[in-house]
Amino acid sequence: MHSFINFIMGPMVWISFLIFFIGVIFRFFQVIKLVNERENFIYTYMSFKYSFRSIFAWLIPFLPVSTRKSPVFYGISYVFHLLLFLIPIFLLSHVALLEESMQWSWFTMNDAVADILTLIVIFSLLFFIIRRIVVPEVNFLTKLSDFGFILIVALPFVTGFLAYHQFFAYQWMVIVHVLSGELMIILIPFTRFFHMFMAPFTRAYTGSEFGSVRHAKDW
Amino acid sequence: MMKLKRLIFMSAVILIITAFYAYSREEIPTIDNIVFDHPQRSAAVFDHDDHNEKAMLEDDCSICHHVYENKKLIKDESSEDYLCSECHFLKPTPENAIPLRMAFHKQCKECHFESNKGPVLCGECHIKK
Repeated sequence: MHSFINFIMGPMVWISFLIFFIGVIFRFFQVIKLVNERENFIYTYMSFKYSFRSIFAWLIPFLPVSTRKSPVFYGISYVFHLLLFLIPIFLLSHVALLEESMQWSWFTMNDAVADILTLIVIFSLLFFIIRRIVVPEVNFLTKLSDFGFILIVALPFVTGFLAYHQFFAYQWMVIVHVLSGELMIILIPFTRFFHMFMAPFTRAYTGSEFGSVRHAKDW
Repeated sequence: MMKLKRLIFMSAVILIITAFYAYSREEIPTIDNIVFDHPQRSAAVFDHDDHNEKAMLEDDCSICHHVYENKKLIKDESSEDYLCSECHFLKPTPENAIPLRMAFHKQCKECHFESNKGPVLCGECHIKK
């Protein structure tokens, strides 16, 4: 068991990030190639001005009209996306491990605060699941895999929460926590999680089309 | 009637076992964590004599209570009369790059990983009360 734990908390972390970085580079080349092959007309109207105008507009919470039409969903979505990064990056136990293996160290948040924020993430994900079932126009666009992706994101947070409280099966809780975190990192380039990198580009594309072609705002 | 007796007997057994378990958990000795300003986790579980007996370290204190001079390990010299915190400070310093928390963590975990024995995960030492 010790060598297994050592592997998933040591080399497997490196392997996951290696696949992540190589995957991201590969996907970017793939997308550029696809655009050049099939949609190269977009270069005729891509514009820095309209791109950044759109990106900045969408960075300001509740500025775009559609975000104001569904304030609950977008409110939860903003908080969820922020916490998705803030919690794991500033968690005391994560930073302690990084400090021991890499001598990297930075600000950490209080465990009790992280505990509550983790619950917020878990309840946001529950909200997303219910929304996909209950809201007809969202349900229409939902595939089974969409629930799968929500569960993949939920797993490290749920197991992290249960492990922190040491409710039951502590060792297995940590093992599933580590493995599910690594699975998420590996999946980012190859699944819809890649919107983490593509979002500014799709925004730039839409912004340019609305600005240069339709002469309208896209927020 | 037999069933009821058996039920009462079994409940009593379970109660006594859990009571013993709860009691014995209270008694587990821990490392003295008084030097940490605001420790967020419970003090790590550690019974010095019990540990050394199990790990068969009784004769050689220097395995854990090491002495470093000019960042070099002095062999066969031991430091059991000093506190860990006399050399390992809360923050890393030029003389000692390994702060106290890291020193504790590394001291325990590295040996446990090498020997395939003993706790290595956060909650195996920092037991939630």
